[in-house]
Amino acid sequence: MEPKIKITGLDFYYNGRPVLENICMEVVENTITAVTGPSGQGKSTLLMTLNRLWESIEGARVKGDIQIRFGQKFQNIYDPGFRVSELRKKVGMVFQMPNPLPMSIYKNIVFPLKLTGDHKQKDAAFRVETALKRSFLWEEVKDRLNEDARSLSGGQQQRLCIARALILNPEVLLLDEPTSSLDDTSGRMIEALLLEVKKTCTLLLVSHYLDQVKRIADKGMHLSRGQITQEW
Amino acid sequence: MASPLWDRAFRLFAWGCSLVLMGAFLVIIGFLCIKGYTALTPRLIFGDTGFWDAVLLRRQVFDGLFPAMAGTLCLIMLSIVLAVPLGLSTGIFLAEYASPRVKWFFSLVFDILAGIPSIVVGLFGFCITLFLHQCFFDRLYPCLLISALSLAFLVLPYMIRTTQMALESLPVSVRLTAPSLGATQLQNIVYVLLPAALSTILSGIILSIGRCAEDTAVIMLTGAVATAGIPKSVFSSYEALPFYIYYISSQYADHSELIKGYGACLVLIFICMNLFVLSHFLKKRLSQRLLFRH
Amino acid sequence: MDVKAFLSKSMFLGACLLSTGITLGILGFMLVLAYPLFARGLFWEMLIQPWSPGQGLFGVGPMITGTLCIASLAVVISIPISLGVACFVGIVHPGGKGRILKSVVEAMTSVPTVIYGFVGVFLLVPLVRTLFSGGSGMCILSAGMMLGLLISPTMILFFVQSFTLVPQNHLDAADALGANTVQKFFYIVLPWAWKSMVTGLILSFGRAMGDTLIALMISGNAAAFPESVLDPARTLTAHIALIIAADFDSIEFKTLFVCGISLYAMTGFGVVLARGLGQRGRA
Repeated sequence: MEPKIKITGLDFYYNGRPVLENICMEVVENTITAVTGPSGQGKSTLLMTLNRLWESIEGARVKGDIQIRFGQKFQNIYDPGFRVSELRKKVGMVFQMPNPLPMSIYKNIVFPLKLTGDHKQKDAAFRVETALKRSFLWEEVKDRLNEDARSLSGGQQQRLCIARALILNPEVLLLDEPTSSLDDTSGRMIEALLLEVKKTCTLLLVSHYLDQVKRIADKGMHLSRGQITQEW
Repeated sequence: MASPLWDRAFRLFAWGCSLVLMGAFLVIIGFLCIKGYTALTPRLIFGDTGFWDAVLLRRQVFDGLFPAMAGTLCLIMLSIVLAVPLGLSTGIFLAEYASPRVKWFFSLVFDILAGIPSIVVGLFGFCITLFLHQCFFDRLYPCLLISALSLAFLVLPYMIRTTQMALESLPVSVRLTAPSLGATQLQNIVYVLLPAALSTILSGIILSIGRCAEDTAVIMLTGAVATAGIPKSVFSSYEALPFYIYYISSQYADHSELIKGYGACLVLIFICMNLFVLSHFLKKRLSQRLLFRH
Repeated sequence: MDVKAFLSKSMFLGACLLSTGITLGILGFMLVLAYPLFARGLFWEMLIQPWSPGQGLFGVGPMITGTLCIASLAVVISIPISLGVACFVGIVHPGGKGRILKSVVEAMTSVPTVIYGFVGVFLLVPLVRTLFSGGSGMCILSAGMMLGLLISPTMILFFVQSFTLVPQNHLDAADALGANTVQKFFYIVLPWAWKSMVTGLILSFGRAMGDTLIALMISGNAAAFPESVLDPARTLTAHIALIIAADFDSIEFKTLFVCGISLYAMTGFGVVLARGLGQRGRA
């Protein structure tokens, strides 16, 4: 039960207005930590500070300290020497709306490997298969890997996006309300696969379904008005 | 204004104006068709030369539009080749790299460039030729290359703006996908953003081709002439379809030449309309794809 | 990898600076070439003086007047038509008929200018000649009418664009209160859209001023101050096209740069004005 992420004194400002104030939290390795709370109060922003994705937003500013442990050593992810693209390969993210790229299913999954230049290697197809199996999608798509990813159903698309995030074997996976755009059955399927993924990965889940959080989260915290108001 | 009479008058006004405009448009097209349809034969383009002889450049075409069409084609290709890389890169810089203030300044500059009358751009091209002729290469005269360069300046702002708009209007979900997977900014642009914006950019390029095909003011200052044959190199003068039409309107010798002028008008309209439809189709296809996605 | 990022960014920045350089270079080149006129203090006089080479006067006053007359006439002709068509497309029949009309208007923007000029020469000019007997028919009126037709599609698309800026719920509210079309237009659409409509107007005026072919082909090209709309006139753009063949060292040739600078300045001013309006409209 070792800690994986340590956040201390994190502030986030958007156009001078505080969105997050003095966030302090710890996330334990191989667990699902859930963040709940009313919408528009900084839950997604909190996730974006962990893979620095907010940096592409105009007018945003971050203060504070976020340490993530890679191997044995904790590293400050805002260290000038820490390259953003390396960070994002280790800290994957899944968004609220499924966001498959306009290409085939196979190309979608292999896309992160293309970014590192590994997509031509012999094990690429095998890694795609593994990632699809981990996200419970392999049986449904193994015969149609060359079809357009947008021809899949919403639930399948979201599992595709999870598979795409998993192919790089990230150590942390950020999930921004991954089931809120899906029907109940698809949502349950994603919950089940997250419990599998947890064995090798540390998950941070933003959700506003309390029952979902109770079903799968090991730890939860409530975020309201930019501050963590309770933990359990 | 509550009276239905006002309402009726307003509708009548809208209908009237629309009919006037459509009428004027139809009169223009109809006039050209009635006067020029007799000219629409292979003879209009190839004169007395056979089709294959002309296309394979075995024999020169003397009394047909073929050299003018070839000149226009060369002109379009050359100016698009010159303008696309510059316009694309500038548009990418403005959309993806520039801060709001920098963007504000540069868009003002390019709006001004878009507003400059084409004849002034032509004058600029002419003066550059003059300058180079006097200072460096005394064998340089107004030619295909100079015209293409000037036309490239003319369509540059359109290309910049379409690229910029196409990239900026991409939804955030597309924009953040690749970075969340560890893509660098350049990878995001090359692998995701540009392909997603491609059909809008292409439709902008095709509209620019249309502008190159129709512009007369620039080329009449920078090297288009009445008779030159097929352009032999980028440093030779050339014929062009719109310039031919202008030339005929003021210098026609007899009735048959005038009829050829009408024919040339129809050919030019046909080319421009096709380019327009192509560009429209590309844009439509894009919006439909976006519709189906959600 | 960082080297690649740096190189690509510098390349994009370089392209941007080059494009900017072209814009400023066009003005700079003309200023340099017109420098002798500035040095002799002739530049400002030339803007108002008449053109009579016989007396050694090379002013472009008639051309500036001609440009303004023809462009204004074109805009005056074009405004009501464009307004009517834009209302048809945006308000009266926003559905099927309007969409078809809008496609036709868009197609009209792709008709080459030289075609308008050609039809002007062989259809409009003889017509004007017969209707107003006397003169050649090549006059401000002919050129203004043809130019009005040329800029109408642009203006219509600008107007339609500004109508779409009106929030749909405002229009729904007006419908729910039982407003008729004309009330909707005057009470809801106009107050909301007039600023961007004015922007479109300014840019269309710039387009009318910058056009060469129509003026060159059907305005008669007489380098004198026009006195009525049936007089021939020469525009700045046509003047450039007509004088270009003159001797490079002659003062006639130098007047081209006076024309070029005036055109650049007027259209540039229009763009700045339009942008100022647009910005305040958004705020």
